[in-house]
Amino acid sequence: MRYAEWCIAAPTLEADIAAAAMGLDDIGHSRVLYGSLRELGTPDAAEDDGASYANVPFLDQPWRDWSEFVAANAVLDGAFTLMMEALANGNVDVLRTRLKKMLQEERYHTLHGRSWMQEVNSGAALQRAWRESLEWIGPENSDVDELHRAGRLAHGVRDLRRLLEERLEGKTPPSGLEWGGWEPIRRRTQPGGIDQATLDMLQGLAERRYMPAGG
Amino acid sequence: MPYARVHAEVHEYDVFARKTRVEPLHQVGSVVAPDDDLAMAYARATYDEERWVEMMIVPKAAIISLWAPGGDS
Repeated sequence: MRYAEWCIAAPTLEADIAAAAMGLDDIGHSRVLYGSLRELGTPDAAEDDGASYANVPFLDQPWRDWSEFVAANAVLDGAFTLMMEALANGNVDVLRTRLKKMLQEERYHTLHGRSWMQEVNSGAALQRAWRESLEWIGPENSDVDELHRAGRLAHGVRDLRRLLEERLEGKTPPSGLEWGGWEPIRRRTQPGGIDQATLDMLQGLAERRYMPAGG
Repeated sequence: MPYARVHAEVHEYDVFARKTRVEPLHQVGSVVAPDDDLAMAYARATYDEERWVEMMIVPKAAIISLWAPGGDS
């Protein structure tokens, strides 16, 4: 959704098109993941308000600067991809078979993010995205490490942190992570949620304005 | 936060693709990017409308032209 908001606002026409394409990819990936969750017996989560969504805080508000897009693309998308790789190489058959195409598509997100990271000084946004990615991966000896020990994830927390750092090629990772307010379901420490306008679009409320009367 | 709206230096790449193994690669378009990584991402995002079995990009600078429309020979 946030990628799509930049499909007519990126610094170059090619980046506009890439933003739209990556947004479409990620909608497709969400469908695959939600479908897999249902098949694995996870009930659908409530979608009543912004705080019901398990999104990282970086996605709560529209990005106001291209550097935020780049940070999300290079860091957050990178962390999601590493988790997908860990799932695709784990022992859950549904995920082993379904996530391969997703990983092929994410390769191009990685190339896009990595290259733009060389072009744009995204320092503060990059640090914020990195910190939130580490929070999303979670603390050591929590659910991710348990799933790793059970073979469902090919990587544990330490591996995921190291692999993310390798992707960011020499950038300094954030320090002093505080886990006091960490929510294990939403995988974040900050309160809050998606802005109302975006929530209306996600729930189809914004589109209803264009429906014929009585429709 | 300051950033260059467009890249300081870019290169042109031609994009080639084919839909089946038996047909030859043909040019489907071109992209402009500062490096190979971004050129690959742009080519895939821009020209992924078909179910290509193969796609590749070539830096235009690497192409040696023998003749072309409007040339001397």
